[in-house]
Amino acid sequence: MATLAQTTVEQWLFRKTDATDLVAPTDQIFMLILWVSVFSFILLMSLMIYFVVVYRRRPGVAIERSSSHNTPLEIAWTVLPTIVLVVMFFDGFWVYIQQAIAPGDAIQMNLTAKKWAWGIEYPKGTVSTEATNEAVMAADSKGRTPFTYPIYYMPANTAVKLKMNSQDVMHSFYIPDFRIKFDVMPNRYTSIWFKANEPSGGKTLPVTHPSLPGVEFEDHWVFCAEYCGEQHSEMAAIIRVVPAAAYDRWAAANVMDMAGDPITIGSKLYMAKGCNACHSVDGGKNVGPSWKDLYGEEQEFADGTKVIADDNYLRESILVPAAKIVKGYPNQMPSYQGQLSDKELSSIIAYIQSLSAHAPAPAAAPADGQPTDGQPTEGKPADPAATPAAPAAAPAK
Amino acid sequence: MTTIDSKGNVLGGHGHAGAHGHDESYLAPKNGLLSTVWDWMTTVDHKKIGVMYMVAILFMFFLGGVAALAVRVELFEPVRAVTNEAGEVVKDAAGNAIVQGQLFKAYNEAGDQDVSKSNKIYNHLFTLHGAIMVFMVIVPSVPASLGNFFLPLMVGAKDVAFPRLNLLSWYIYLFGSMFGVTSILLGGVDTGWTFYTPYSTTTDLGFHRVLLMVLSAFILGFSSILTGLNFVVTVHKLRAPGMGWFDMPLFVWAVYATSIIQVLATPVIGITLLLLSFERIFRVGIFDPALGGDPVLYQHFFWFYSHPVVYVMILPAMGIVSEIIPVHARKPMFGYRAIAFASLGIAGVAFLVWGHHMFASMGEVATMVFSALTFLVAIPTAVKVFNWVATLYKGSIAITPPMLYALFFLFLFSIGGLTGLPLATLSTDLHLHDTYFVVAHFHYVMMGGTIIAFVGGLHHWWSKMFGREYNHFWAKVGAWLVFIGFNVTFFTQFILGTRGMPRRYASYVDDFQFLHQISTVGSFIILLGFLTHLFVFIQSLVGGRKAHPNPWGGLTLEWETSSPPITHNFHHEPVVRHGPYDFDDNYPPQCDPKDYPLPAKPVGATAHVVRH
Repeated sequence: MATLAQTTVEQWLFRKTDATDLVAPTDQIFMLILWVSVFSFILLMSLMIYFVVVYRRRPGVAIERSSSHNTPLEIAWTVLPTIVLVVMFFDGFWVYIQQAIAPGDAIQMNLTAKKWAWGIEYPKGTVSTEATNEAVMAADSKGRTPFTYPIYYMPANTAVKLKMNSQDVMHSFYIPDFRIKFDVMPNRYTSIWFKANEPSGGKTLPVTHPSLPGVEFEDHWVFCAEYCGEQHSEMAAIIRVVPAAAYDRWAAANVMDMAGDPITIGSKLYMAKGCNACHSVDGGKNVGPSWKDLYGEEQEFADGTKVIADDNYLRESILVPAAKIVKGYPNQMPSYQGQLSDKELSSIIAYIQSLSAHAPAPAAAPADGQPTDGQPTEGKPADPAATPAAPAAAPAK
Repeated sequence: MTTIDSKGNVLGGHGHAGAHGHDESYLAPKNGLLSTVWDWMTTVDHKKIGVMYMVAILFMFFLGGVAALAVRVELFEPVRAVTNEAGEVVKDAAGNAIVQGQLFKAYNEAGDQDVSKSNKIYNHLFTLHGAIMVFMVIVPSVPASLGNFFLPLMVGAKDVAFPRLNLLSWYIYLFGSMFGVTSILLGGVDTGWTFYTPYSTTTDLGFHRVLLMVLSAFILGFSSILTGLNFVVTVHKLRAPGMGWFDMPLFVWAVYATSIIQVLATPVIGITLLLLSFERIFRVGIFDPALGGDPVLYQHFFWFYSHPVVYVMILPAMGIVSEIIPVHARKPMFGYRAIAFASLGIAGVAFLVWGHHMFASMGEVATMVFSALTFLVAIPTAVKVFNWVATLYKGSIAITPPMLYALFFLFLFSIGGLTGLPLATLSTDLHLHDTYFVVAHFHYVMMGGTIIAFVGGLHHWWSKMFGREYNHFWAKVGAWLVFIGFNVTFFTQFILGTRGMPRRYASYVDDFQFLHQISTVGSFIILLGFLTHLFVFIQSLVGGRKAHPNPWGGLTLEWETSSPPITHNFHHEPVVRHGPYDFDDNYPPQCDPKDYPLPAKPVGATAHVVRH
């Protein structure tokens, strides 16, 4: 009976209770505190209501004299709560230490945060280019979905440690299902780790998925928990847990081939570096100007000057974004100085060029500017909830 | 017997020759409207200053409340494009998608709805709500209004120690609030009331509304410091003959402890906000790493002030409850000294726990120390609650509007305190930090605690302040509406928090919608409750019956004077002959002893000390 009540309340309070092995101990401490609190609260309130009813005022009737202090009682109600609090403190500290300190064999990945996107750099050059466009938190009036959430694959049963850094303001990396969060700061590394359990719930990736057809997976929301401005509430991502063997296959299939076609590389970097958080490739207006038909188009700036968007303009805008602010847009973009190699930079510019009708077709690319090779180009998903989509490959309908 | 009959002792002479009207109510108008207004503007009377603070604070409460309601309405629906069964976006005749859930629709230059701009409006509103409620309502609420009015009366003084300084504090408060309101009128700020760097030093660089808001908080700080200083000196120097430290009413103890925190902690926020301004204006790198500053330093500075200030907000509220309960239960306060020392204890520990706002940004050792220290605060707080409940035992309890509020305070504040425990516990806080659980927790403490006690205090002392009765029935209806609405609004937010809803979100994933909708409905029940109170108070001022000078049978000194009090407070210098809550042995002043029968003396025992 007691366990049933415990489970019911727990399921009511928490969305998921088995995503990692440290979820249960944390929730148990919460439930311990909860039951202690409920007990004390009911005790106090019952006494209060009882006294109010029994000792209600009767006009003209004198009350009985009673003591206004009682030393043993006062000592008891000071010492007893203290003991309970000490237990809570040590319990909480014990689990916290396990949450805070990553095991030595954890795979290390880098996480960068910026307004308003999360980016994870995998080991050995793997990049994630998938994003979801359902579970859309917001959409503009033209029905475009400016907020797509990147999907990051993670191996089950494997400790993963993220070394975190912010490019602009404070953010906080929060995975509610794992009960962990930690602030992500500019100019200082912080870290967070987790070891996800095997996916449960029976969802499988569609057979059209390029690298993991039919593999079981489980998604967990990543939220930003430190207020960071306009799109704080849209700064989300998805951690997609898959079995470790499947993860290895995925990682191998998604290694960025830096020797390949610059446009393809650029289209992958568009997702991997989080450009997609602010720039659409379908003409939709977002925090920053759309990349569609940008190259070769005249740009008007906040100070009234105009320039044709060419290679050098794009290079400057990526490395020193504040130098020229396009009219009607905020000065919001962080600098990518030192974060992109020259090869990566020119690939992104090539990709932007390929999206423009005004641009001379680059020699290496197909004439219509559609990147072809190496792209995840799955068709219409059978199960929308389980399907990744890559806006880079499948722009506006 | 200490009853002082005001009619028998109308002696104007305390060396104040010339001016007449000492025995008139402090509310008595001067000849002509202009001279009355001028009299209020230049008054050094603590009672008038207290009333002016009260009006200003209630107005600010209204502004902050409207912002809160707007926030709740926006959160009724998440921002979404409407889709049909096939998952396609539904479009209107003009081919534009239909978007739901945007109360604040904003458009970009091309005429498209701009979600990012709508979010910005939301961010401005919650900042407005937080900054107004904290800096202009809750911090000054009890000390500046009720404290100003009643602290001198309760210690039996004619005024505070430095009446002119008191007037200066009031004008500094007005001046500071004007900066804040100007900032809002110019478009407002979107930093959150905490002004976290580097966001606050890099947003809105062209307009400096953030600077105005920061300066507003800076200036308001001085008002706090000066008021605190004034109260500390008043308590030390102006107590009536016969009033030792442990004969002071607990409200005086609480305001005294509060004043110490204000004097010691407020300069820190002053310096911090000044540094923030320097960084914004001169681009000196202090907090912003891009300029060479430290990313977490600001949070340390900010919470070193703002955590103690949490106790500035709650201690005076505890003081009010410690007045209401013994008077309306007609019982000596249980464990008077424990409560007085608990106030000082809380004030002391308050300075050592700022780090618990930063468990997610500090190292393991620091978090451990701050977690342990934070649990320490729980103990004196729990002791106070036990004492209040124990005071009810064998009392003669009347459920008057103020008593109803005191009981609601016990209910809500207990929840607020207990839900602090999982936030002090490290492993659970890692999950709950910066979620709606925290939002719910501090609303239970700040609103369920401070605001509820403040409104309770207003009902307790209203007739003393204005000499008019109010309608008890409708006051209780208002109290119940506020209480029910409050729980509907904020209890749901605990569950939102444990389910992982982060705070300061303009929109959210669908899972959270149902709970958000309940919460929004609750906020309108609160509105209804406060509107009821507003009408009750207005009705009282316009057509209320003349009030009895001691309607509840209180023993503290403010009940010895007339209602409303005369300009110089007392008709002759009061002398204290008994403790503030010795209901077992004293008839309340200005009351018919028949209405207040004393309990029989126990045979052969002098259970209670009666001072002579």
